[in-house]
Amino acid sequence: MAAIRNRMLPFVHGTCQAVPQDLTCIDILKALDFNRVSDTKWALPMSLFPKAAIFIGCLVGIALVSVDAGIANAKDMFIGALIEASGPMSEMGPSVEKAAKLAVSVSNIAAKEAGLDLSVYLVSADSQGNPQAAVSAARTLVDKGVSCILGPATTPESIAVLNGVTLQRRITLWPQASSTRLRAVEDGGTIFRTLAPDDLQSKALVRAIETYVGARKRVAILFRNEPYGDALSRTFRSDWEASGGTIVSSIAFDPTQQAFDSEAAQLFDENPDAYVVIDYPDTYARLGAALVRSGKFDPNKLFVADALSFARVPKSIPARAINGAYGVAGGSPRGTPAYRLFNELWRQAGGAEAGSYAANVFDAGILCVLSAIEAGATDPELIRQKVREVTREGARQFTLETLAEAVKDAAAGRPIDYIGVSGAFRFAPNGDPTSGLYDIFQYRNGEQVTVRQIDVR
Amino acid sequence: MRVSATAQAYFTGVPKPAKLLVSLFFIFLCLIAFFGTVKVSQATINGFVTGSYLGLGAMGLTLIMGVMKLVNLAYGDFLVAGAYFTLMFTALGTPLPLSVLLAILGTALLSILAEKLVWRPLRNAGASTLQCFLSAIGLSFLIRFTIQFFGGSESRSFDIDVLSTMVLGPFRVGTQQALGFVMALAALSMLAIGLWISGAMKTMRAVSDNRLLAEVCGIGVGHTIDLTSLLSGLLAGAAGIVYATAVGSFNPNFGLTLLLSLFAAATLGGIGNIYGAMLGGLVIGLSQEWSALLLGAKWKPLVALVFLVLMLLAVPRGIFARAPRRP
Repeated sequence: MAAIRNRMLPFVHGTCQAVPQDLTCIDILKALDFNRVSDTKWALPMSLFPKAAIFIGCLVGIALVSVDAGIANAKDMFIGALIEASGPMSEMGPSVEKAAKLAVSVSNIAAKEAGLDLSVYLVSADSQGNPQAAVSAARTLVDKGVSCILGPATTPESIAVLNGVTLQRRITLWPQASSTRLRAVEDGGTIFRTLAPDDLQSKALVRAIETYVGARKRVAILFRNEPYGDALSRTFRSDWEASGGTIVSSIAFDPTQQAFDSEAAQLFDENPDAYVVIDYPDTYARLGAALVRSGKFDPNKLFVADALSFARVPKSIPARAINGAYGVAGGSPRGTPAYRLFNELWRQAGGAEAGSYAANVFDAGILCVLSAIEAGATDPELIRQKVREVTREGARQFTLETLAEAVKDAAAGRPIDYIGVSGAFRFAPNGDPTSGLYDIFQYRNGEQVTVRQIDVR
Repeated sequence: MRVSATAQAYFTGVPKPAKLLVSLFFIFLCLIAFFGTVKVSQATINGFVTGSYLGLGAMGLTLIMGVMKLVNLAYGDFLVAGAYFTLMFTALGTPLPLSVLLAILGTALLSILAEKLVWRPLRNAGASTLQCFLSAIGLSFLIRFTIQFFGGSESRSFDIDVLSTMVLGPFRVGTQQALGFVMALAALSMLAIGLWISGAMKTMRAVSDNRLLAEVCGIGVGHTIDLTSLLSGLLAGAAGIVYATAVGSFNPNFGLTLLLSLFAAATLGGIGNIYGAMLGGLVIGLSQEWSALLLGAKWKPLVALVFLVLMLLAVPRGIFARAPRRP
């Protein structure tokens, strides 16, 4: 009894997680012998108070311990996903969530095939396209014991989550934000991106315009005045001018305003040969209508960035505002067995159509699981240290088709080179991929059609 | 010097709204001199479109602030309710014009419910301005998230052609935008005539000036407040629909983004004055669009608010405010 009582001391002092799990509540109550009942009649309720408090505390403590035990079990791994279920990027939310779920279920199957006793779970929360909401959602995920976090989709959200949550806890963050601004913050090596940064996207846009409009042309830029739009527009201006082209106007707009007719009119002031629009779907629904109303809009001259890439045009965007437009978005090597298998799995899963970066999100989930297996732990910092071990150039290569074998090698502690559905990952020291494969697409009859793929370095 | 003195003497006796109009016309001419007639006129047309829904919304808000002395932060969400009620009725198979009417009535009903279930109990309990302010924030969240729960958070649009355009020489304006502007003017006219015929404006002004005295004089304060809630709800519903029609697509958060401009328009016009609110909305709309010519589009919201601050420094009680009564 004395031994049990000694083991209970941390619990009595409030450190609930120190309670040994083999104790029952009855053991605890038996061990706590409070023989301090006074002879006086009025003292009786006071004497009952500690026991009642301990009994309630015991129940709460055991409940907490049982919850904690579930999370702390090394055989269980929780992956967090910050999904844009609402807000300006909500069009991509369902696709990202499905990709994350698919990564988890594929990992579970591979672990089982490899004979590894590991169960991976997905915990998701809505980041709402809002930095404050994203931090709150990330805290919810961390409270549930996630080992890494997929998302969020925008740069302001990613920076807020990094500074508010993940940096201190050394949790790897795998954002879908592509802005170069994300590299202006100190991340302590916790941010990895499976999609190429915008300095590569800018080069892809240059090549797309050169291909479909011509080189050295006069181009106007219309961009949302926030980190993604601002950074990409600056990089594009620099790249386009370096290629011998001219930027005739660069118009920033406040995405929170109501109408965009003035901005639309300004875009055509200098009669450009092509126009680059950097925007999100939610705002483009209004901006696109204003462009058409201007009477000078030619969709074949419009080039959009990756945030306006979707498998099917949302209903809120007028067809005449986007059909015929070109755009660029990160792509996956077509025709590979892994790509075909991924598409088949996606189709079988039903639900949302694959949006831009679905394969990248999927790959991020797989890399996170493989890193945990390589580390032999679900500790976020240990996972962070192993990310480069599962994408090591020169090591044995694995793909989605051979994921179970990758799991076996990783579990044995051997370095591997996982070639994702979206391609091989060669992370630069800052955690960004050093090259990117881009789809040049065109919207035809409300659907996105990939017209070309280009490799950008 | 003599010209300046003459102008000063002239402006001394001119009412504030006329001064404002003269100033706006002067700015318009200056802009034309710099940017040309077509560009400035097109920006002015766009400003009138923006001003129409801002003015319409500000009219309801100014009534609430004037009569109920309430800083209603939930008001923007009543506009959202108007737009989503229209979506709901069209989804149920009602023709769009009838859906619009039903949605305006639905928003008015929501406004009356807010008065009966929230504002009146708070008033009866002697709630302070801060308590009412916080309750308004709570009500705002309640309305917004209820709409989001049933209507979804993605962008929605009415089943109308938002791309249809009217071409008037070198000028272009969206057909729905023009329709929205006409709707706003029609609503203002109907409201003004209705209030003038019924004499309700007089009772509202009496309650706004001194509620206790109005009650002693036999004015039904409760009924006046109910009427104010009804009118502000009708106006909010109409403004939300005009916004959704003119802009083309919307989500449950648009009320929040409009709220600051609505308060600016109501304050600029003079609290409690519906004509002032309409004019305030037009001034905000014009200043936003004109500023895009001068400074670039990204400064639009900032310039509008700076303009508001300057105007309030010049006319602190608003353009249409009456001089305070002397005892």
